[in-house]
Amino acid sequence: MSMQPTSERTLSVEVLARVEGEGGLHLSMRNGKVAEAKLNIFEPPRFYEAFLRGRSMMELPDLTARICGICPVAYQFSACMAIEDACGVTVPDSVHALRRLLYCGEWIESQTLHVYMLHAPDFMGYAGAIEMAKDYPTEVARGLSMKKAGNELMTLVGGRSVHPVNTKIGGFYKMPSVADMMALRPALAQGLEDALETVRFCAGLEFPEFERPYLFVSLRPETGYPIDSGRIVTSRGEDLSVREFVERVEEVHVEHSNALHGVLDGEPYVVGPLARYSLNFDRLSPLAQQAARDAGLGETCYNPFKSIIVRAVETVEAFHEALRIIDSWVDGLPASVPVPPREAEGWGATEAPRGLCFHRYKIDDDGLVTDAQIAPPTSQNQPSMEADLRELAQEWMWMSDEDLTLRAEVAIRNYDPCISCSVHFLDLTVDRG
Amino acid sequence: MTHPPARRVVVGLGAPDRGDDAVGPTVAREVAAVLAQRPVPGVEVLEREDPTALLDVWAGAELTVVCDAVRSGSPPGTLHVVRTGKDLPPLTEGHVQEAGSHDFGLASAIELARALGRLPEHVVVVGVEARSFEWGEPLTRQVAGAVPSAVAEVMALLRS
Repeated sequence: MSMQPTSERTLSVEVLARVEGEGGLHLSMRNGKVAEAKLNIFEPPRFYEAFLRGRSMMELPDLTARICGICPVAYQFSACMAIEDACGVTVPDSVHALRRLLYCGEWIESQTLHVYMLHAPDFMGYAGAIEMAKDYPTEVARGLSMKKAGNELMTLVGGRSVHPVNTKIGGFYKMPSVADMMALRPALAQGLEDALETVRFCAGLEFPEFERPYLFVSLRPETGYPIDSGRIVTSRGEDLSVREFVERVEEVHVEHSNALHGVLDGEPYVVGPLARYSLNFDRLSPLAQQAARDAGLGETCYNPFKSIIVRAVETVEAFHEALRIIDSWVDGLPASVPVPPREAEGWGATEAPRGLCFHRYKIDDDGLVTDAQIAPPTSQNQPSMEADLRELAQEWMWMSDEDLTLRAEVAIRNYDPCISCSVHFLDLTVDRG
Repeated sequence: MTHPPARRVVVGLGAPDRGDDAVGPTVAREVAAVLAQRPVPGVEVLEREDPTALLDVWAGAELTVVCDAVRSGSPPGTLHVVRTGKDLPPLTEGHVQEAGSHDFGLASAIELARALGRLPEHVVVVGVEARSFEWGEPLTRQVAGAVPSAVAEVMALLRS
Protein backbone atom coordinates (compact mmCIF):
# COMPACT_ATOMS: atom_id res chain seq x y z
CA MET A 1 0.00 0.00 0.00
CA SER A 2 1.43 3.36 -0.90
CA MET A 3 0.55 6.58 0.78
CA GLN A 4 -1.07 9.20 -1.42
CA PRO A 5 1.16 12.25 -1.51
CA THR A 6 -0.61 15.30 -0.18
CA SER A 7 -0.94 18.12 -2.66
CA GLU A 8 1.21 20.54 -0.66
CA ARG A 9 3.91 19.60 1.78
CA THR A 10 6.72 21.64 3.25
CA LEU A 11 9.54 20.26 5.36
CA SER A 12 12.14 22.44 6.92
CA VAL A 13 14.93 22.17 9.44
CA GLU A 14 15.69 25.58 10.87
CA VAL A 15 19.16 24.79 12.18
CA LEU A 16 20.98 21.64 11.11
CA ALA A 17 22.60 19.63 13.90
CA ARG A 18 26.05 18.07 13.76
CA VAL A 19 27.42 20.32 11.04
CA GLU A 20 29.92 23.14 11.52
CA GLY A 21 28.28 26.56 11.35
CA GLU A 22 24.72 27.65 10.90
CA GLY A 23 22.54 26.44 8.09
CA GLY A 24 19.10 24.99 7.51
CA LEU A 25 17.27 23.15 4.79
CA HIS A 26 13.97 23.70 3.08
CA LEU A 27 11.97 21.28 0.94
CA SER A 28 8.63 21.99 -0.62
CA MET A 29 6.49 19.63 -2.66
CA ARG A 30 3.45 20.37 -4.82
CA ASN A 31 1.17 17.71 -6.30
CA GLY A 32 3.64 14.88 -5.85
CA LYS A 33 6.61 16.79 -7.27
CA VAL A 34 9.49 18.50 -5.52
CA ALA A 35 9.05 22.22 -6.10
CA GLU A 36 12.02 23.49 -4.14
CA ALA A 37 15.05 22.02 -2.34
CA LYS A 38 17.31 24.54 -0.69
CA LEU A 39 20.21 24.48 1.69
CA ASN A 40 20.06 27.80 3.49
CA ILE A 41 23.34 29.13 4.76
CA PHE A 42 22.69 32.07 7.02
CA GLU A 43 25.93 32.14 8.95
CA PRO A 44 27.08 35.73 8.46
CA PRO A 45 29.73 36.43 5.81
CA ARG A 46 33.27 37.21 6.93
CA PHE A 47 34.70 39.14 3.97
CA TYR A 48 37.96 37.21 4.04
CA GLU A 49 38.97 37.80 0.43
CA ALA A 50 38.42 41.54 0.86
CA PHE A 51 40.43 41.99 4.04
CA LEU A 52 43.38 39.95 2.72
CA ARG A 53 44.01 42.67 0.12
CA GLY A 54 46.92 44.82 1.26
CA ARG A 55 48.26 42.18 3.69
CA SER A 56 51.69 40.64 3.28
CA MET A 57 51.81 37.27 1.51
CA MET A 58 53.84 35.99 4.48
CA GLU A 59 50.79 36.43 6.74
CA LEU A 60 48.53 34.26 4.59
CA PRO A 61 49.11 30.87 6.29
CA ASP A 62 48.24 32.31 9.72
CA LEU A 63 45.34 34.45 8.49
CA THR A 64 43.64 31.87 6.30
CA ALA A 65 44.01 29.12 8.93
CA ARG A 66 41.38 30.98 10.97
CA ILE A 67 38.77 30.33 8.29
CA CYS A 68 38.27 26.93 9.89
CA GLY A 69 38.95 25.22 13.21
CA ILE A 70 38.57 21.77 11.68
CA CYS A 71 40.56 22.08 8.44
CA PRO A 72 43.05 24.94 8.98
CA VAL A 73 45.85 23.00 7.25
CA ALA A 74 43.85 22.95 4.00
CA TYR A 75 43.78 26.75 3.97
CA GLN A 76 47.40 27.16 5.07
CA PHE A 77 48.82 24.87 2.41
CA SER A 78 46.57 26.00 -0.45
CA ALA A 79 47.74 29.56 0.32
CA CYS A 80 51.41 28.51 0.53
CA MET A 81 51.21 26.69 -2.78
CA ALA A 82 49.53 29.61 -4.54
CA ILE A 83 52.18 32.08 -3.32
CA GLU A 84 55.06 29.72 -4.14
CA ASP A 85 53.50 29.29 -7.59
CA ALA A 86 53.30 33.07 -8.04
CA CYS A 87 56.91 33.54 -6.97
CA GLY A 88 58.18 30.65 -9.08
CA VAL A 89 59.63 28.77 -6.09
CA THR A 90 59.78 24.99 -5.69
CA VAL A 91 59.98 23.70 -2.12
CA PRO A 92 62.30 20.78 -1.26
CA ASP A 93 61.03 17.20 -0.95
CA SER A 94 61.45 17.36 2.83
CA VAL A 95 58.89 20.20 2.95
CA HIS A 96 56.50 18.27 0.70
CA ALA A 97 56.80 15.23 2.96
CA LEU A 98 56.22 17.16 6.16
CA ARG A 99 53.26 19.01 4.67
CA ARG A 100 51.75 15.67 3.73
CA LEU A 101 52.36 14.37 7.24
CA LEU A 102 50.70 17.37 8.89
CA TYR A 103 47.81 17.03 6.46
CA CYS A 104 47.42 13.35 7.48
CA GLY A 105 46.95 14.61 11.06
CA GLU A 106 44.16 16.91 9.92
CA TRP A 107 42.49 14.14 7.91
CA ILE A 108 42.62 11.79 10.88
CA GLU A 109 41.16 14.38 13.27
CA SER A 110 38.43 15.49 10.92
CA GLN A 111 37.39 12.20 9.32
CA THR A 112 37.30 10.41 12.69
CA LEU A 113 35.24 13.15 14.30
CA HIS A 114 32.79 13.01 11.43
CA VAL A 115 32.52 9.22 11.23
CA TYR A 116 31.98 8.53 14.94
CA MET A 117 30.59 11.71 16.47
CA LEU A 118 28.55 13.27 13.67
CA HIS A 119 27.56 10.65 11.14
CA ALA A 120 27.43 7.19 12.78
CA PRO A 121 24.60 8.24 15.16
CA ASP A 122 22.44 8.81 12.05
CA PHE A 123 22.82 5.22 10.92
CA MET A 124 22.62 3.75 14.42
CA GLY A 125 19.42 5.62 15.32
CA TYR A 126 20.79 7.93 18.01
CA ALA A 127 20.36 11.66 18.49
CA GLY A 128 24.11 12.10 18.93
CA ALA A 129 27.40 10.61 20.02
CA ILE A 130 26.70 10.90 23.75
CA GLU A 131 23.54 8.81 23.44
CA MET A 132 25.36 6.34 21.18
CA ALA A 133 28.28 6.08 23.63
CA LYS A 134 25.99 4.60 26.30
CA ASP A 135 25.25 1.57 24.09
CA TYR A 136 28.43 1.49 21.99
CA PRO A 137 31.23 2.59 24.32
CA THR A 138 33.92 0.57 22.51
CA GLU A 139 33.19 2.19 19.15
CA VAL A 140 33.00 5.74 20.49
CA ALA A 141 36.16 5.23 22.58
CA ARG A 142 37.90 3.96 19.44
CA GLY A 143 36.92 7.15 17.61
CA LEU A 144 38.23 9.31 20.45
CA SER A 145 41.49 7.41 20.58
CA MET A 146 42.03 7.83 16.82
CA LYS A 147 41.20 11.52 17.02
CA LYS A 148 43.72 11.85 19.84
CA ALA A 149 46.42 10.30 17.63
CA GLY A 150 45.53 12.87 14.95
CA ASN A 151 45.75 15.70 17.51
CA GLU A 152 49.17 14.45 18.63
CA LEU A 153 50.42 14.33 15.05
CA MET A 154 49.20 17.90 14.47
CA THR A 155 50.88 19.03 17.69
CA LEU A 156 54.17 17.34 16.79
CA VAL A 157 54.41 18.78 13.27
CA GLY A 158 52.33 21.93 13.56
CA GLY A 159 53.09 22.96 17.14
CA ARG A 160 49.39 23.02 18.05
CA SER A 161 46.45 20.61 17.66
CA VAL A 162 44.39 23.30 15.91
CA HIS A 163 45.61 26.23 13.81
CA PRO A 164 49.22 25.03 13.46
CA VAL A 165 51.84 27.71 14.04
CA ASN A 166 54.85 25.96 12.48
CA THR A 167 53.96 26.48 8.81
CA LYS A 168 55.09 29.36 6.62
CA ILE A 169 55.37 30.36 2.97
CA GLY A 170 58.35 28.31 1.72
CA GLY A 171 58.11 25.51 4.31
CA PHE A 172 58.28 25.21 8.09
CA TYR A 173 59.92 27.13 10.93
CA LYS A 174 61.25 23.95 12.55
CA MET A 175 61.60 20.32 11.52
CA PRO A 176 60.64 17.64 14.06
CA SER A 177 63.38 15.16 15.00
CA VAL A 178 63.43 11.45 14.25
CA ALA A 179 63.22 10.85 18.02
CA ASP A 180 60.07 12.98 18.31
CA MET A 181 58.50 11.14 15.40
CA MET A 182 59.37 7.71 16.75
CA ALA A 183 57.77 8.60 20.09
CA LEU A 184 54.50 8.97 18.20
CA ARG A 185 54.85 5.76 16.22
CA PRO A 186 53.00 3.42 18.65
CA ALA A 187 49.93 5.70 18.71
CA LEU A 188 49.88 5.83 14.90
CA ALA A 189 50.33 2.07 14.57
CA GLN A 190 47.40 1.56 16.96
CA GLY A 191 45.48 4.17 14.96
CA LEU A 192 45.96 2.15 11.78
CA GLU A 193 44.51 -0.94 13.47
CA ASP A 194 41.61 1.13 14.79
CA ALA A 195 41.02 2.62 11.33
CA LEU A 196 40.79 -0.84 9.78
CA GLU A 197 38.30 -1.78 12.49
CA THR A 198 36.39 1.42 11.68
CA VAL A 199 36.04 0.37 8.02
CA ARG A 200 34.55 -2.94 9.20
CA PHE A 201 32.22 -1.11 11.58
CA CYS A 202 31.00 1.27 8.84
CA ALA A 203 30.55 -1.57 6.37
CA GLY A 204 28.08 -3.15 8.81
CA LEU A 205 25.75 -0.15 8.79
CA GLU A 206 22.60 -0.13 6.69
CA PHE A 207 22.51 2.18 3.69
CA PRO A 208 19.62 3.39 1.56
CA GLU A 209 19.81 2.46 -2.12
CA PHE A 210 20.57 5.80 -3.70
CA GLU A 211 22.99 6.82 -6.43
CA ARG A 212 23.40 9.92 -8.52
CA PRO A 213 25.49 10.44 -11.68
CA TYR A 214 27.88 12.90 -10.04
CA LEU A 215 30.51 14.90 -11.87
CA PHE A 216 33.46 14.16 -9.57
CA VAL A 217 36.44 16.50 -9.25
CA SER A 218 39.62 15.85 -7.26
CA LEU A 219 43.35 16.28 -7.24
CA ARG A 220 45.54 13.55 -8.67
CA PRO A 221 49.26 13.73 -7.89
CA GLU A 222 52.01 11.96 -9.81
CA THR A 223 52.18 9.32 -7.12
CA GLY A 224 50.10 8.45 -4.08
CA TYR A 225 46.59 9.34 -2.96
CA PRO A 226 45.54 12.98 -3.40
CA ILE A 227 46.07 14.96 -0.20
CA ASP A 228 48.47 17.88 -0.52
CA SER A 229 49.11 18.39 -4.24
CA GLY A 230 48.38 17.30 -7.79
CA ARG A 231 46.66 18.19 -11.04
CA ILE A 232 42.88 18.30 -11.18
CA VAL A 233 40.97 15.43 -12.79
CA THR A 234 37.25 14.91 -13.38
CA SER A 235 35.00 11.91 -13.93
CA ARG A 236 34.39 13.07 -17.52
CA GLY A 237 38.06 12.53 -18.24
CA GLU A 238 39.55 16.01 -17.94
CA ASP A 239 43.07 16.51 -16.61
CA LEU A 240 43.71 20.17 -15.81
CA SER A 241 46.26 22.37 -14.12
CA VAL A 242 44.91 24.14 -11.04
CA ARG A 243 44.93 27.37 -13.03
CA GLU A 244 42.95 25.90 -15.93
CA PHE A 245 40.41 24.48 -13.50
CA VAL A 246 39.99 27.72 -11.56
CA GLU A 247 39.44 29.62 -14.79
CA ARG A 248 36.59 27.29 -15.73
CA VAL A 249 34.84 27.36 -12.37
CA GLU A 250 32.25 30.00 -11.83
CA GLU A 251 31.18 31.00 -8.35
CA VAL A 252 27.61 32.22 -8.39
CA HIS A 253 25.60 33.90 -5.72
CA VAL A 254 22.10 32.60 -4.92
CA GLU A 255 19.61 34.46 -2.81
CA HIS A 256 19.04 31.85 -0.09
CA SER A 257 22.68 31.34 0.83
CA ASN A 258 25.63 33.34 2.07
CA ALA A 259 27.91 30.78 0.39
CA LEU A 260 28.75 31.09 -3.30
CA HIS A 261 27.74 28.09 -5.41
CA GLY A 262 30.54 26.62 -7.53
CA VAL A 263 29.82 25.31 -11.05
CA LEU A 264 32.24 23.85 -13.63
CA ASP A 265 31.34 24.93 -17.19
CA GLY A 266 27.88 25.64 -15.79
CA GLU A 267 27.47 22.15 -14.25
CA PRO A 268 27.31 21.27 -10.57
CA TYR A 269 30.15 19.04 -9.40
CA VAL A 270 31.19 17.14 -6.30
CA VAL A 271 34.45 17.28 -4.37
CA GLY A 272 35.38 15.23 -1.29
CA PRO A 273 35.80 11.59 -0.26
CA LEU A 274 33.57 10.05 -2.98
CA ALA A 275 35.31 12.04 -5.73
CA ARG A 276 38.84 11.36 -4.46
CA TYR A 277 38.13 7.68 -4.01
CA SER A 278 36.37 7.15 -7.34
CA LEU A 279 39.07 8.98 -9.31
CA ASN A 280 42.05 7.58 -7.41
CA PHE A 281 41.24 4.08 -6.19
CA ASP A 282 44.43 2.86 -7.90
CA ARG A 283 46.44 5.30 -5.77
CA LEU A 284 45.36 3.89 -2.40
CA SER A 285 47.84 1.64 -0.60
CA PRO A 286 47.14 -2.09 -1.09
CA LEU A 287 46.05 -2.21 2.57
CA ALA A 288 43.40 0.49 2.08
CA GLN A 289 42.28 -1.04 -1.22
CA GLN A 290 41.80 -4.40 0.45
CA ALA A 291 39.89 -2.81 3.35
CA ALA A 292 37.59 -1.11 0.83
CA ARG A 293 36.98 -4.34 -1.08
CA ASP A 294 36.29 -6.25 2.14
CA ALA A 295 33.76 -3.55 3.02
CA GLY A 296 31.95 -4.25 -0.24
CA LEU A 297 32.97 -1.08 -2.04
CA GLY A 298 33.79 -1.16 -5.75
CA GLU A 299 36.48 1.01 -7.31
CA THR A 300 34.01 3.87 -7.56
CA CYS A 301 31.21 4.92 -5.22
CA TYR A 302 28.21 7.00 -6.27
CA ASN A 303 26.08 6.42 -3.15
CA PRO A 304 26.57 9.52 -0.97
CA PHE A 305 25.33 7.69 2.15
CA LYS A 306 28.32 5.37 1.81
CA SER A 307 30.70 8.31 2.17
CA ILE A 308 31.06 7.19 5.80
CA ILE A 309 32.80 3.99 4.61
CA VAL A 310 34.97 5.96 2.19
CA ARG A 311 36.00 8.33 5.00
CA ALA A 312 37.01 5.32 7.07
CA VAL A 313 39.06 3.94 4.14
CA GLU A 314 40.73 7.35 3.76
CA THR A 315 41.56 7.28 7.47
CA VAL A 316 43.33 3.95 6.93
CA GLU A 317 45.27 5.65 4.12
CA ALA A 318 46.12 8.64 6.32
CA PHE A 319 47.52 6.49 9.16
CA HIS A 320 49.38 4.30 6.67
CA GLU A 321 50.86 7.32 4.93
CA ALA A 322 51.81 8.99 8.23
CA LEU A 323 53.68 5.85 9.29
CA ARG A 324 55.44 5.67 5.91
CA ILE A 325 56.62 9.28 6.22
CA ILE A 326 57.86 9.02 9.82
CA ASP A 327 59.61 5.71 9.08
CA SER A 328 61.65 7.31 6.30
CA TRP A 329 62.36 10.56 8.17
CA VAL A 330 65.97 11.64 8.81
CA ASP A 331 67.32 14.53 10.84
CA GLY A 332 68.92 17.63 9.32
CA LEU A 333 66.64 18.07 6.30
CA PRO A 334 66.01 21.62 5.02
CA ALA A 335 62.98 23.20 6.73
CA SER A 336 62.26 25.92 4.20
CA VAL A 337 63.43 27.91 1.20
CA PRO A 338 63.34 31.69 0.78
CA VAL A 339 60.43 32.99 -1.31
CA PRO A 340 61.36 36.39 -2.77
CA PRO A 341 58.22 38.31 -3.82
CA ARG A 342 57.53 39.46 -7.38
CA GLU A 343 54.49 40.90 -9.11
CA ALA A 344 52.56 37.81 -10.23
CA GLU A 345 49.46 35.67 -9.89
CA GLY A 346 49.50 32.15 -8.40
CA TRP A 347 47.20 29.18 -7.95
CA GLY A 348 47.17 26.49 -5.25
CA ALA A 349 44.89 23.58 -4.41
CA THR A 350 44.88 20.83 -1.78
CA GLU A 351 42.37 18.24 -0.59
CA ALA A 352 40.67 19.36 2.63
CA PRO A 353 39.02 16.40 4.38
CA ARG A 354 35.69 17.44 2.85
CA GLY A 355 37.14 18.16 -0.61
CA LEU A 356 39.16 20.34 -2.92
CA CYS A 357 40.09 23.76 -1.53
CA PHE A 358 41.58 26.19 -4.05
CA HIS A 359 43.15 29.62 -3.67
CA ARG A 360 44.27 32.25 -6.16
CA TYR A 361 46.25 35.37 -5.26
CA LYS A 362 47.75 38.33 -7.05
CA ILE A 363 50.69 39.96 -5.31
CA ASP A 364 52.78 43.03 -6.06
CA ASP A 365 56.58 43.47 -6.02
CA ASP A 366 56.57 43.98 -2.25
CA GLY A 367 54.64 40.77 -1.69
CA LEU A 368 51.39 42.54 -0.77
CA VAL A 369 48.17 40.81 -1.78
CA THR A 370 46.24 42.77 -4.43
CA ASP A 371 43.56 40.16 -5.17
CA ALA A 372 42.42 36.97 -3.42
CA GLN A 373 40.03 34.14 -4.25
CA ILE A 374 39.38 31.29 -1.80
CA ALA A 375 37.01 28.45 -2.71
CA PRO A 376 36.22 26.06 0.15
CA PRO A 377 34.82 22.60 -0.60
CA THR A 378 31.41 23.17 0.95
CA SER A 379 30.48 25.97 -1.43
CA GLN A 380 31.60 23.87 -4.40
CA ASN A 381 29.38 21.01 -3.14
CA GLN A 382 26.34 23.10 -2.38
CA PRO A 383 24.56 22.77 -5.75
CA SER A 384 25.02 19.02 -5.56
CA MET A 385 23.73 18.83 -1.98
CA GLU A 386 20.57 20.56 -3.17
CA ALA A 387 20.27 18.18 -6.14
CA ASP A 388 20.57 15.24 -3.70
CA LEU A 389 17.80 16.73 -1.58
CA ARG A 390 15.54 17.17 -4.61
CA GLU A 391 16.16 13.64 -5.83
CA LEU A 392 15.74 11.91 -2.49
CA ALA A 393 12.58 13.83 -1.69
CA GLN A 394 11.15 12.70 -5.02
CA GLU A 395 12.19 9.11 -4.42
CA TRP A 396 11.03 8.85 -0.81
CA MET A 397 7.98 11.11 -0.97
CA TRP A 398 5.88 8.30 0.54
CA MET A 399 7.77 8.61 3.84
CA SER A 400 6.30 10.43 6.84
CA ASP A 401 7.43 14.04 7.33
CA GLU A 402 9.57 12.98 10.25
CA ASP A 403 11.38 10.19 8.39
CA LEU A 404 11.86 12.21 5.24
CA THR A 405 13.23 15.17 7.20
CA LEU A 406 15.72 12.92 8.97
CA ARG A 407 16.82 11.38 5.69
CA ALA A 408 17.27 14.86 4.21
CA GLU A 409 19.41 15.90 7.17
CA VAL A 410 21.54 12.79 6.82
CA ALA A 411 21.95 13.61 3.11
CA ILE A 412 23.43 16.97 4.05
CA ARG A 413 25.68 15.42 6.70
CA ASN A 414 26.93 13.01 4.00
CA TYR A 415 29.01 15.96 2.80
CA ASP A 416 30.31 16.85 6.28
CA PRO A 417 29.60 20.47 5.36
CA CYS A 418 31.72 23.12 6.96
CA ILE A 419 29.31 25.98 6.75
CA SER A 420 31.40 28.64 8.45
CA CYS A 421 34.20 28.09 5.91
CA SER A 422 31.91 28.38 2.96
CA VAL A 423 30.44 31.75 3.75
CA HIS A 424 31.41 34.51 1.37
CA PHE A 425 30.34 38.08 0.94
CA LEU A 426 26.89 38.93 -0.20
CA ASP A 427 26.48 41.33 -3.10
CA LEU A 428 24.14 44.05 -1.98
CA THR A 429 22.07 46.00 -4.48
CA VAL A 430 20.12 48.97 -3.29
CA ASP A 431 17.06 49.77 -5.34
CA ARG A 432 15.89 53.28 -4.63
CA GLY A 433 13.18 53.31 -7.25
CA MET B 1 57.84 6.12 54.19
CA THR B 2 55.11 8.46 52.93
CA HIS B 3 52.58 7.92 50.17
CA PRO B 4 53.04 10.05 47.06
CA PRO B 5 50.54 12.94 47.08
CA ALA B 6 47.28 12.31 45.20
CA ARG B 7 47.35 13.59 41.63
CA ARG B 8 45.36 16.75 41.05
CA VAL B 9 45.04 18.43 37.67
CA VAL B 10 44.28 21.99 36.63
CA VAL B 11 43.28 22.32 32.97
CA GLY B 12 42.93 25.64 31.17
CA LEU B 13 40.53 25.00 28.31
CA GLY B 14 40.18 27.21 25.24
CA ALA B 15 41.94 28.79 22.27
CA PRO B 16 44.70 31.20 23.32
CA ASP B 17 43.99 33.55 20.39
CA ARG B 18 40.23 33.87 20.41
CA GLY B 19 39.20 36.73 22.67
CA ASP B 20 37.71 35.64 25.98
CA ASP B 21 38.08 31.97 25.05
CA ALA B 22 41.68 32.46 26.23
CA VAL B 23 40.56 32.96 29.84
CA GLY B 24 41.00 29.24 30.64
CA PRO B 25 44.62 29.05 29.46
CA THR B 26 45.35 32.47 31.05
CA VAL B 27 44.10 31.34 34.48
CA ALA B 28 46.08 28.09 34.11
CA ARG B 29 49.29 30.00 33.36
CA GLU B 30 48.83 32.24 36.39
CA VAL B 31 48.09 29.25 38.60
CA ALA B 32 51.32 27.66 37.34
CA ALA B 33 53.20 30.88 38.20
CA VAL B 34 51.78 30.90 41.74
CA LEU B 35 52.65 27.23 42.19
CA ALA B 36 56.22 27.93 41.04
CA GLN B 37 56.55 30.31 44.01
CA ARG B 38 54.53 28.27 46.53
CA PRO B 39 54.40 24.64 45.40
CA VAL B 40 51.50 22.34 46.25
CA PRO B 41 52.59 18.68 45.89
CA GLY B 42 50.99 16.48 43.24
CA VAL B 43 49.46 19.28 41.15
CA GLU B 44 49.81 19.27 37.38
CA VAL B 45 48.79 22.31 35.29
CA LEU B 46 47.86 21.82 31.62
CA GLU B 47 46.37 23.77 28.72
CA ARG B 48 44.13 22.12 26.15
CA GLU B 49 42.07 23.36 23.21
CA ASP B 50 40.01 20.24 22.56
CA PRO B 51 37.61 19.42 25.43
CA THR B 52 37.66 15.71 24.52
CA ALA B 53 41.30 15.72 25.71
CA LEU B 54 39.86 15.88 29.25
CA LEU B 55 38.92 12.20 29.02
CA ASP B 56 42.61 11.34 29.13
CA VAL B 57 44.07 14.07 31.31
CA TRP B 58 41.77 13.49 34.26
CA ALA B 59 42.26 9.72 34.32
CA GLY B 60 43.38 8.76 37.82
CA ALA B 61 43.12 12.30 39.20
CA GLU B 62 41.61 12.78 42.64
CA LEU B 63 40.54 16.31 41.70
CA THR B 64 40.29 18.03 38.32
CA VAL B 65 39.78 21.77 38.07
CA VAL B 66 38.73 22.93 34.60
CA CYS B 67 39.05 26.65 33.87
CA ASP B 68 36.95 27.72 30.93
CA ALA B 69 35.01 30.56 29.34
CA VAL B 70 31.28 30.40 30.03
CA ARG B 71 28.23 31.97 28.44
CA SER B 72 25.13 32.02 30.61
CA GLY B 73 23.78 35.54 30.21
CA SER B 74 25.42 36.87 33.40
CA PRO B 75 27.50 40.06 33.20
CA PRO B 76 30.94 39.46 31.58
CA GLY B 77 33.57 38.60 34.16
CA THR B 78 31.12 36.82 36.52
CA LEU B 79 32.76 33.82 38.17
CA HIS B 80 30.90 30.48 38.07
CA VAL B 81 32.07 27.56 40.20
CA VAL B 82 30.25 24.33 39.40
CA ARG B 83 30.97 20.92 40.87
CA THR B 84 30.33 17.82 38.85
CA GLY B 85 31.49 14.24 38.81
CA LYS B 86 30.34 10.71 38.19
CA ASP B 87 27.78 10.77 41.01
CA LEU B 88 26.72 14.38 40.55
CA PRO B 89 24.13 15.75 38.10
CA PRO B 90 25.15 16.92 34.59
CA LEU B 91 26.04 20.51 33.88
CA THR B 92 23.01 22.44 32.78
CA GLU B 93 22.91 24.53 29.65
CA GLY B 94 24.27 27.94 30.41
CA HIS B 95 27.16 26.43 32.30
CA VAL B 96 28.67 25.50 29.01
CA GLN B 97 30.93 27.38 26.71
CA GLU B 98 29.29 28.11 23.41
CA ALA B 99 31.01 26.00 20.81
CA GLY B 100 30.33 25.08 17.20
CA SER B 101 28.39 21.85 16.85
CA HIS B 102 31.33 20.44 14.91
CA ASP B 103 33.39 20.78 18.04
CA PHE B 104 32.61 19.27 21.36
CA GLY B 105 31.96 21.73 24.16
CA LEU B 106 32.90 21.16 27.80
CA ALA B 107 29.45 19.92 28.82
CA SER B 108 29.43 17.45 25.92
CA ALA B 109 32.88 16.19 26.86
CA ILE B 110 31.73 15.68 30.47
CA GLU B 111 28.60 13.82 29.39
CA LEU B 112 30.53 11.76 26.86
CA ALA B 113 32.97 10.79 29.62
CA ARG B 114 30.05 9.87 31.88
CA ALA B 115 28.55 7.64 29.16
CA LEU B 116 31.90 5.94 28.67
CA GLY B 117 32.48 5.47 32.41
CA ARG B 118 35.45 7.83 32.28
CA LEU B 119 34.14 10.72 34.38
CA PRO B 120 36.07 10.95 37.67
CA GLU B 121 34.45 11.61 41.04
CA HIS B 122 35.50 15.20 41.51
CA VAL B 123 35.52 17.76 38.71
CA VAL B 124 35.18 21.45 39.44
CA VAL B 125 34.57 23.92 36.65
CA VAL B 126 35.84 27.41 37.36
CA GLY B 127 34.15 29.39 34.62
CA VAL B 128 34.43 33.06 33.75
CA GLU B 129 31.53 34.65 31.92
CA ALA B 130 32.83 35.71 28.50
CA ARG B 131 31.82 38.60 26.29
CA SER B 132 33.57 38.07 22.96
CA PHE B 133 35.15 35.18 21.01
CA GLU B 134 36.74 37.25 18.22
CA TRP B 135 39.82 35.70 16.59
CA GLY B 136 43.03 37.59 17.30
CA GLU B 137 41.52 39.77 20.04
CA PRO B 138 42.85 39.87 23.61
CA LEU B 139 40.68 39.24 26.69
CA THR B 140 38.01 41.90 27.14
CA ARG B 141 38.52 44.27 30.09
CA GLN B 142 35.84 42.68 32.30
CA VAL B 143 37.14 39.16 31.73
CA ALA B 144 40.79 40.14 32.27
CA GLY B 145 39.65 41.78 35.50
CA ALA B 146 38.16 38.49 36.70
CA VAL B 147 41.37 36.48 36.24
CA PRO B 148 42.83 37.15 39.75
CA SER B 149 39.65 35.96 41.50
CA ALA B 150 39.51 32.86 39.25
CA VAL B 151 43.16 32.11 40.16
CA ALA B 152 42.35 32.58 43.87
CA GLU B 153 39.41 30.19 43.52
CA VAL B 154 41.59 27.52 41.89
CA MET B 155 44.29 27.91 44.57
CA ALA B 156 41.67 27.60 47.33
CA LEU B 157 40.41 24.37 45.75
CA LEU B 158 43.95 22.98 45.54
CA ARG B 159 44.75 23.87 49.15
CA SER B 160 41.48 22.58 50.61
